[in-house]
Amino acid sequence: MSEPAKKDEAPKKDMKDVFAAVENIKCPVQKSQRFVEEFLSEPMCGKCHPCMLGSYEALVRLKRISAGIGDGADIKAISRIADQMLEGSRCIKGKDTAKFLLGEIKGEAFAEHLAGKCSARECPNYIMYRVIPEKCVMCGLCKDACRYNAVLGEKRNSFRAGYLPFEIRQKRCVKCGDCLPACPYGAIEVVEEKTAVLV
Amino acid sequence: MGKMVNLKIDGKEVQVDEGTNLIEAAAAAGVHIPNLCYLKGMKGIGACRLCVVEVEGGKAPVVACNTKVKEGMMIATRTERVQEIRKFVIDLILSMHPLDCMTCTKAGVCNLQQYAYDFEIKESSFTRKKFGYPTDEANPFIKRDPEYCVLCSRCVRVCKAQGTNVLEFSGRGVGAKVVTAQDKPLQESGCTFCGSCVDACPVNALLEADRWRKGREWEYEKVDSVCLSCGNACSITVSTKDGEVIKINSAAAEGIAEKYICALGRYGFDSLTSETRLRTPMKRVGGELKETSWEDALAIVAEKLKAAGGDAAFVSSANILNEDAFALKKLAAEVVKTRNYDSSVTLYSDYDALRSGTADLEDADLFVLVGTAPDQWARVLPALDAVIRKRMSEGGARLLVINSGEPRIASAASAVLRGDEVKMIEQLAQAVISKGVKAPKEMISALAHVDPSDAAMAAADLFIAAKSPVVLSAPSLYKAAANLSLIKEEAVSVPFEANAKGVVLMGLTSEGKKFKEIVSTSSKVLYVIGEVPVGKRPDTEFLIVQNSHITDLATQADIVLPSTAALESEGTIVDYLGRIKEVRKALEPAGDAMPHSDIFAAVSGAMGSSLKKAKDTDVKKALKTKVKVAFSPFKRDKDLEIDGEKFIDEINRSTVNGSRLLWLKESEKAVVA
Repeated sequence: MSEPAKKDEAPKKDMKDVFAAVENIKCPVQKSQRFVEEFLSEPMCGKCHPCMLGSYEALVRLKRISAGIGDGADIKAISRIADQMLEGSRCIKGKDTAKFLLGEIKGEAFAEHLAGKCSARECPNYIMYRVIPEKCVMCGLCKDACRYNAVLGEKRNSFRAGYLPFEIRQKRCVKCGDCLPACPYGAIEVVEEKTAVLV
Repeated sequence: MGKMVNLKIDGKEVQVDEGTNLIEAAAAAGVHIPNLCYLKGMKGIGACRLCVVEVEGGKAPVVACNTKVKEGMMIATRTERVQEIRKFVIDLILSMHPLDCMTCTKAGVCNLQQYAYDFEIKESSFTRKKFGYPTDEANPFIKRDPEYCVLCSRCVRVCKAQGTNVLEFSGRGVGAKVVTAQDKPLQESGCTFCGSCVDACPVNALLEADRWRKGREWEYEKVDSVCLSCGNACSITVSTKDGEVIKINSAAAEGIAEKYICALGRYGFDSLTSETRLRTPMKRVGGELKETSWEDALAIVAEKLKAAGGDAAFVSSANILNEDAFALKKLAAEVVKTRNYDSSVTLYSDYDALRSGTADLEDADLFVLVGTAPDQWARVLPALDAVIRKRMSEGGARLLVINSGEPRIASAASAVLRGDEVKMIEQLAQAVISKGVKAPKEMISALAHVDPSDAAMAAADLFIAAKSPVVLSAPSLYKAAANLSLIKEEAVSVPFEANAKGVVLMGLTSEGKKFKEIVSTSSKVLYVIGEVPVGKRPDTEFLIVQNSHITDLATQADIVLPSTAALESEGTIVDYLGRIKEVRKALEPAGDAMPHSDIFAAVSGAMGSSLKKAKDTDVKKALKTKVKVAFSPFKRDKDLEIDGEKFIDEINRSTVNGSRLLWLKESEKAVVA
């Protein structure tokens, strides 16, 4: 016969850690998604249905929005989940998550995302990395920094006549952002662009 | 009885016991509060949040299943606010539940289906989730399909409360799943296949294994009857369709500890149509059993019995009904005029031990098990084992085990007195008396020489602290154990057969040879009724076997008479707690089989005298002859000690061998080996 589950084992992460994890994220969609992910990963106890099922569904919806395939129904669903979790969930953890979601969903940011815009330029699917040709000195540092071979271009050598200008191939780019700090000349920028298809 | 509390639910005034929860209070007022995880009789866990209600004056809604009633409470169960929460939860659950109600076996009794209907949810407004869990169909008893699971944890909790503790959760949140330890198939997990989890499941996640396409709840005819497989005589509800048993459930009231039946009661019905079933009378012609007609068989039986007279002997199983026992006694004593008629009761009990004692297990706060060893896993009085464990885990009852061996239930006991049972009872009684509790004078003087041990003193504290202790004893120790009931409350002896008390009260008590003597000495005619633990033909000139199945003994008989099986006849029995239970007919008899009492009447008719049928009043009159418990010396009956597991196995051999329980027996052997 099995032993009952160990009760004394304190959770490694609590709500404080969840709040800390999202502190530096500006985009409300990203912030909410990360918050719920963190919440589900540990502090969510699974002892009541509204919170257990609700937060999972909220994550599904948030992922849709941040992936750029969300619509008005998703925002409505999230706000319904948050409302009912606040009313119906058993403990403060579920209620805190609900309050957080309600706070984030209030502004314009969610609606903006549906229109294809992430003002904070943090949602990978809403942004594009681009080399500014005017600023690029063709040093090749960004190419070295890119782990995904997304930077195309040839280092300029003074003894050779032709050269291949540097550019970022969007198909390969995963928007990790590693190239940004690598460029000493500030020749890489982030621009908003909603991708049509989810990877 | 506790205090009564008045409250108003949706405007309806209701008065309930103090300590009642709001779901029960609402039910008393005729209001249903939706719920998925609540189980009557168990503590509410507030997981599903469907039972939220608003209390006037309260800020937030409260969970009805673990909120107790208070005087003057005003409850609203149907406000928009709580309905929204309910609808939300149902909507979420439906997003991960297959929407195949049109082919689902549980349709009609599925709580989720009902609530989806009530809240007008055709399909979930949330994202459809599918987990692709495999179905556990590796055993012929219980099918587990986690795809349907709503994570209410009812199954986990009932399994734990009754002490089997096989099921648990793996994972947390949406991906949680009910599993056995290490996710083994049920038959390797220590599961006893009692099916309590099946009864608890609100949806189609747990189901009897063979229910597919055998009709749904509303197509069944339901009959409340009694299982006659062992001394517990559990109440059962038999569901039949087109004259075939589809399933059997416990008929005990929702929420009481006795709501339990074991695998034998739940799945043994296969044997009603097994190959070994007897459908026509048979007689021995030239060394072989050949089918014959009732007239022929009865004529032969009558002739033999007439010739034998006082040299005829009757032995019967104690699984027969009161009416059968009544008729048998009349046939043996008044028509055949023999003094030798007995039931298998005398193999493990004397008559007096079965004539007295009643007890209420639901109210008991201390169980004292003397010598008896109920065991769910060995299927010896499994319901008693489950009831005790449930009363302990849910009702806070205590258990004192007095046994010379190592019964499995001792590991759950609050205190154990190990050693010779009679000595231990003496010590316990003396310890209780030495602490200043009143007892009859004879007992005090009989115990004067006893010096109680420390363990007995501790056990005595339990006994004194208990308001209504119940002593449950093996019949062989009943005389000694019943002395405890002279100090406080009740004592009953627990026989191994369903109607042991009934047959004795009906007067099927031998005036000549007892069972053991009858089957070990020679007789002119031996008439054996039912399945008795006799495998070899006793020394007799003519052997008549009357049973529902062909047994080893029946193959050696001269005449075999087919009787109805348990679910095919009706009458009454007296269970081990002294309650009269009605056995009702759920099926028509197989072939030409007849009820025992009808056969006895026919035999006596063939002998030229008519046998009056037992009337209700006859049975009731006989049942009133109860004996009052008086002090008797602390002694045991050595010859009456038998191996309960072996005995119950022997009297149920046809049921087990003729049903899917044989699979269980074999697979249990395989696991042990």
